[in-house]
Amino acid sequence: MAGSRKVNTMSMATLHRNLVKAAFAALLMLLPARLMAADAAPADKLSDGDKQCLGCHGFEGPKKELPGGKVLSLHVRGDGFAKSVHGAIGCTSCHADVDLKTHSQKPKTIASSREYSVAMTKVCGGCHADALKQNETSVHAMLLASGNPSAPICTDCHGSHAVTPKTAYDTCVGCHLAAMDAHRKWLPNAGLHLEVVSCAACHAPAAQRMVDLRLYDGATKKWVAEKEGKPEFEKTARAADTDGDGLDAMELRKLIGQLNRDEAAQPKNLRGRIELRIGGEAHQLSGKSKAIKDCAICHRQGAEPFQNVAISIFSADGKPLRYKAQKEVLGSVLSVDSLREFYAVGGTRNILLDILLVLAVLAGLTVPIGHQVLKIIVKGELERAARQDKAAKGRDQP
Amino acid sequence: MQRIYVHPFPVRLWHWINAVGFVAMMLTGTQIRYVGIIDLMSFRTAVTVHNWIGFVLIGNYFIWLLFYLFTDKIRVYHPELSPTKHFKASFRQLQYYGYGIFKGSPNPHQVSAYDKFNPMQSMMYQVVMFLLVPLLAVTGVLLWDVQGFYGAVDFFGGIRVVDTVHVLIYIFFAFFIFFHVYMGSLGHTPTAHYKAMFVTGYEEIEEEPGHGGATKR
Ligand code: HEC
Ligand code: HEC
Ligand code: HEC
Ligand code: HEC
Ligand code: HEC
Ligand code: HEC
Ligand code: HEC
Ligand code: HEM
Repeated sequence: MAGSRKVNTMSMATLHRNLVKAAFAALLMLLPARLMAADAAPADKLSDGDKQCLGCHGFEGPKKELPGGKVLSLHVRGDGFAKSVHGAIGCTSCHADVDLKTHSQKPKTIASSREYSVAMTKVCGGCHADALKQNETSVHAMLLASGNPSAPICTDCHGSHAVTPKTAYDTCVGCHLAAMDAHRKWLPNAGLHLEVVSCAACHAPAAQRMVDLRLYDGATKKWVAEKEGKPEFEKTARAADTDGDGLDAMELRKLIGQLNRDEAAQPKNLRGRIELRIGGEAHQLSGKSKAIKDCAICHRQGAEPFQNVAISIFSADGKPLRYKAQKEVLGSVLSVDSLREFYAVGGTRNILLDILLVLAVLAGLTVPIGHQVLKIIVKGELERAARQDKAAKGRDQP
Repeated sequence: MQRIYVHPFPVRLWHWINAVGFVAMMLTGTQIRYVGIIDLMSFRTAVTVHNWIGFVLIGNYFIWLLFYLFTDKIRVYHPELSPTKHFKASFRQLQYYGYGIFKGSPNPHQVSAYDKFNPMQSMMYQVVMFLLVPLLAVTGVLLWDVQGFYGAVDFFGGIRVVDTVHVLIYIFFAFFIFFHVYMGSLGHTPTAHYKAMFVTGYEEIEEEPGHGGATKR
């Protein structure tokens, strides 16, 4: 990339010339193989128009100078874009204002990259009206409206050119690292909770929750994903669900057994997470005072999050694929092994143990009561025997 | 009236703490497991208290363990190795509790400093102190930090196995507490054993010369 790095120091005119040349080169596919190698396969899927844009924007180097000595990188990774959910819609779906004829000659005035991003994310709502609407009620949107310069907008959580369905939750921690410790003050096992409860399950209190039992591969330490082009999860799950009413505990056991056919390999297990039933409701984040703090919302038998259960794995492109399971699997004895990594005290307890406890207490109470009753009976018997004895003796004596 | 020193101070100290602690553990444990059915305290308080007292009891267990390991009093916990002898003696003890005690017969087991448990107590306390209490403690510690002890939890068969063992032992103690407290009241007076265990350390043995002949205490 040495060549393109030099571009930095060139004047606008030479940059322009270089960019035109580069665009040409891209179109003619004459770019050095090394530059294109990473992009080659996925980028092939892009339209010619997109490739044209990437001819100038597809590699590091070009930057636009902004007021105050700041710069805006003009680099867009072609491979990341091609693999993203938006690969098919093309650059101009979002950049409709770009006119190639005037494009690089008539520089746009951009006050700051933040301002540009905020303005640009208006286009997202054009196609994602629901998300836009949900987001409008969030604490972040309010912060944005009140002028908070670091309040996140669509692209802060999802990215702009490499948007994937992969969970956007990873980004939360990036901005809220300090807040993670704040949870420790009131939440025992805070680390565990932050792993097994999605942020929005507590911070979007109005949303509906569910238990997502996701397949985890202990050997590779990764979530299991479908193999590219060979989807079989849904089929396998459907086959295990013989009566078609969601997996029950027995069927779930069978399914786990089937997924772990290869006995030599470290078994894959289901890990439970409390998530939202409708992912998009994660936008309805409210302020911390409204967040769920009441443990009983999850740690009570029959709690709301445990009413909906699904098992899931990731699709090849990172979307969660879910298959319904019956909520009873959470408290079943048969799940001792199939759900060996998920148990929330109180919330998912087994009824047989409850019966056993009642019997134990009853037995404990029976001991003193029974023994006292026995005492009365035995004493009564002994006294009667003594009376009879005495009477007999009395009769004997004249 | 003969007085025998059967409960040395470390054992009594352990037992006071253990008795109070166990009751607290049973209450908080029940609250944790039955949120919404029982409302003694908040779930969060129950969890916090349960964890703290749990560690106190584990420390306390070592008072008991070290005392017995480093004194010859461990002999009270030596098992009877002959099964026939053990079962015969147990049967005699059962007969006593089911009949003899009401008649005023003497206890077939004679307490001494090195032999304070009757055969049934001996068996029960061995199981409780060397198996159930340690297992309860180990599973408790694992549940306290499932994430940190992930490897160990997995080794024992996962969080559900660990938790079920913890709960089964809790259920046993829900029975045992009633049983134990009641049996403690069956001394020669209802408070005799309590005084011995909680206050003096001395068991009072009534001498009944001529009664039963064979019982020389
Ligand atoms: C000939 C090379 C070239 C091609 C081809 C090209 N651009 Fe650009 N682009 C530039 C230059 C140079 C700038 C910086 C202009 C400036 O200083 O404002 C730029 C800036 C941008 C910007 C920053 C904001 C703005 O509007 O100024 C966007 C967005 C952009 N281009 C999108 C595109 C898209 C989409 C395509 C394909 C339809 C494309 N570009 C094709 C050279 C090119
Ligand atoms: C889904 C909408 C979307 C698509 C499709 C899209 N962009 Fe963008 N683009 C944005 C947004 C939003 C920004 C604002 C910057 C930000 O928030 O990261 C942006 C900014 C840019 C910029 C300015 C520099 C920067 O990275 O901030 C360039 C150049 C650019 N896009 C080029 C492209 C090219 C080339 C393509 C096609 C390969 C493309 N864009 C496709 C949404 C899109
Ligand atoms: C021209 C319409 C269009 C625009 C503008 C657009 N998107 Fe998309 N978006 C789509 C399409 C089409 C999909 C793919 C939907 C699918 O696969 O179900 C998608 C998918 C997504 C997804 C993944 C949804 C899922 O199912 O997980 C996210 C996140 C997303 N877009 C965010 C954005 C963001 C952020 C912007 C603005 C930078 C944006 N989109 C702008 C059309 C658009
Ligand atoms: C604070 C971070 C954040 C912001 C800001 C944000 N999102 Fe999201 N978005 C998320 C999360 C988290 C999810 C849920 C992902 C999941 O369930 O795995 C999501 C899901 C989505 C989805 C797919 C879910 C669906 O089915 O509706 C789309 C589309 C989307 N967001 C678009 C947008 C758009 C458009 C904006 C700006 C108006 C935006 N997001 C702003 C975090 C954010
Ligand atoms: C780009 C950075 C950024 C990202 C990404 C982000 N946030 Fe925020 N968030 C902020 C800022 C800034 C505030 C304002 C309050 C502050 O300074 O903590 C805020 C406020 C909040 C608040 C309100 C706190 C209060 O004091 O009431 C919650 C809750 C929150 N964010 C949750 C989330 C969640 C959940 C995600 C991920 C889906 C997320 N945030 C992603 C920057 C971010
Ligand atoms: C078990 C529920 C729960 C989960 C899971 C959770 N939070 Fe919170 N969070 C809360 C509650 C309740 C508060 C308010 C605490 C208080 O009263 O101080 C809070 C406070 C916050 C705050 C404000 C901190 C402050 O006091 O400055 C932020 C930011 C935040 N959470 C972000 C997140 C993010 C990001 C995640 C996911 C990684 C997350 N939370 C997961 C319940 C939760
Ligand atoms: C949004 C749901 C939710 C809330 C609210 C919540 N928890 Fe949990 N908690 C869970 C889940 C789910 C697990 C189980 C983790 C696992 O086994 O994978 C868990 C685990 C635990 C554990 C570890 C033992 C175990 O079951 O694995 C403790 C202790 C605990 N929670 C205490 C609390 C306390 C105290 C509060 C309130 C301050 C609270 N939780 C609030 C969902 C929640
Ligand atoms: C549930 C937890 C408890 C356990 C595991 C337990 C265990 C034991 C053990 C092992 C002994 C023999 C002590 C020794 O080694 O010398 C003992 C004796 C005793 N315990 Fe407990 N105990 C518990 C709770 C209680 C409670 C709550 C009380 C009463 C309030 C109590 C009253 C007594 C009495 C009076 C004795 C001495 C008499 C006898 O040995 O029968 N215990 N206990």
